[in-house]
Amino acid sequence: MGLKYLDPTNIIISFLSEDYYYQKAPDVKKLKTIEEINQKIKDGNAVVVTAREMTRIVQENGAGKAAEEVDVVTTGTFGAMCSSGAFFNFGHSDPPIKMSRTYINGVEAYSGLAAVDAYLGATQPHRNPDIGLDYGGAHLLEDLIRGKEVELVAEAYGTDCYPRTDVHTFLSLENLNQATMINPRNCYQNYAAATNSTEETIYTYMGTLLPQMGNVSYSSAGELSPLLNDPYFQTIGLGTRIFLCGSQGYIIGEGTQHATEGERRNGVPVGSAGTLMLKGDMKKMDADYIRGATMPKYGPTLYVGAGIPIPVLNEEIARRTGVSDAEIACKIYDYGTPRRDRPAVMETNYEELRTGKIEINGNEVQTSPLSSFKKALEIAEELKKWIDNGEFFLTSPVENLPSSGFTVQPLEIKRPSIMVRDLKSKTAITARAEEAISEVARKMVDNNINHLPVVDHAGRLMGIVTSWDIAQAVAKDSQKLTEIMTKKVIVAMEDEPVEVIARRIDKHEISGVPIVDRNNLVKGMITAEDISRLICSQNNEEGD
Amino acid sequence: MKAWLNFSPSIVSKTVISDLIKNFDVTFNILRADITPKGGKMLIEISGSEAEKGIKYMEKEGIQLNPIKKVVKKDEDKCMDCGECISLCPVKAIKMEEDWSVELDNQKCIGCGFCTTSCPTKAIKIAD
Repeated sequence: MGLKYLDPTNIIISFLSEDYYYQKAPDVKKLKTIEEINQKIKDGNAVVVTAREMTRIVQENGAGKAAEEVDVVTTGTFGAMCSSGAFFNFGHSDPPIKMSRTYINGVEAYSGLAAVDAYLGATQPHRNPDIGLDYGGAHLLEDLIRGKEVELVAEAYGTDCYPRTDVHTFLSLENLNQATMINPRNCYQNYAAATNSTEETIYTYMGTLLPQMGNVSYSSAGELSPLLNDPYFQTIGLGTRIFLCGSQGYIIGEGTQHATEGERRNGVPVGSAGTLMLKGDMKKMDADYIRGATMPKYGPTLYVGAGIPIPVLNEEIARRTGVSDAEIACKIYDYGTPRRDRPAVMETNYEELRTGKIEINGNEVQTSPLSSFKKALEIAEELKKWIDNGEFFLTSPVENLPSSGFTVQPLEIKRPSIMVRDLKSKTAITARAEEAISEVARKMVDNNINHLPVVDHAGRLMGIVTSWDIAQAVAKDSQKLTEIMTKKVIVAMEDEPVEVIARRIDKHEISGVPIVDRNNLVKGMITAEDISRLICSQNNEEGD
Repeated sequence: MKAWLNFSPSIVSKTVISDLIKNFDVTFNILRADITPKGGKMLIEISGSEAEKGIKYMEKEGIQLNPIKKVVKKDEDKCMDCGECISLCPVKAIKMEEDWSVELDNQKCIGCGFCTTSCPTKAIKIAD
């Protein structure tokens, strides 16, 4: 096809996807202002609906009519938000102390601040390894909000002005001068869904993932989720008053890892994208809207209840708050790959995920939300009630959240990961399944090795034998190699970083793994000894 | 009927269950078993026209039988209806109700314990 025959305007049109249509429209004439809406709230005649109700209203009456009729749309989410925590001020003891290590109920709070200030992070595990992940910062935050008494232990090096070197006492939320929740990253605009293609169950921040893509977990509140209802942050920014854990809190800016340039569909991001930094007063919070939790074998995390009111200032805002679960896409990623960039398995949407099952490669797979949709609805309803009762007024942000120019940079490791293929692996010494056990024993002794992969005629991995297996074979008088070898073999691929293999060897409590290629052909062996030797040589290089 | 069977060390070597199935008209399903030479427990479901007789037989043979209504118990205060457990259930005994609350079906539950170990707030426990 000759390009010269194409009308340039046609080219542009053909490249305009549906997304273009949804991109930020030029400033639409305002139907109403935040001041006018606040006056209506004061007069008790503002029309407030939840984002879920708004979706139906826009579907039935159109965005234009909805914009005229509705003043405020309330959103809500109740999900695991690891990047949460609180600043505490304990007040001064007599004689006073400058705390340098601080533990509350056994959970360390960072106190490299002024004398009696500390920041407690939600994912900090208990200092006692026996309790560890079962009680962490998140559980402590919930206990404080529930009014429970907690134990404070602090140590210090002692100065002329702060002579005391230790503190051991008990306190509760009311004794603290300040307990200010500051969450550096909450309310992800959208998020990935997770599955696991490997042969074993894995435990992740996306919950327990069954082998062979046995389940899918997802976390966004979809059409109720705050930032999906204002995807270009036209009404949200620094100073926006919100519902935070049952109290009136504030957005204090974009959250960490805020991103604006990702792929969008129907105007809303397909991936994680925008985030919020939130602030609230723990003394005013309600324990119904916060929960300390532990993701099994992952760690503590805080379930945060947040809701943002969106003023319906014009038709465009009305249309965007009308977004439905079916229009919000997300991708399912394979968390079986323990790397930064995980492969996407497929794209789906929240309507489909919420049915409780989804089809992956022809198989029906059950889905689990990780965030509570019931609680998210409760939050949107509660915020609606506050506004209806004239207890909550909207704010104009001092500065809107940035809606362009933000990307998330990766952390580049200056000393790159050593890959399995980079290791100086000895030539692969293997045994054939039909070899005699005495022959296999001799091979091990001759080569001074303890592991021997067993292969078929084509060199494909069938199993592995260790010197211990040989000892057992002699003790039990076994004759066949196939009887004593381990058939379910944990392996390493050539393109995996050595750190990943070290974790695998540790997790399975084994001493080495065969290296195989994509066709299961044995390429060598990597042992715990090889890895410790590698670490030693790296440390020596650094010492030079 | 679902029940926990408690085996004392003296009866673990007896073939009580196979004798039960041979001699009585019962449908018998083992949902969970943890029995060693030192004794142990078995979670079973028993039905059929001679279920009552079968139960009496087991008790006579020395198996202590505790009928249960609930295989698992959910602490409603701890549960936040997130739904993390739903996709982990191998027998689809957990589902999201119309009002988005999470419900356990004790009829379907086989007590595998997957939901109990995976619950972020430890709201589900195996009932004794």
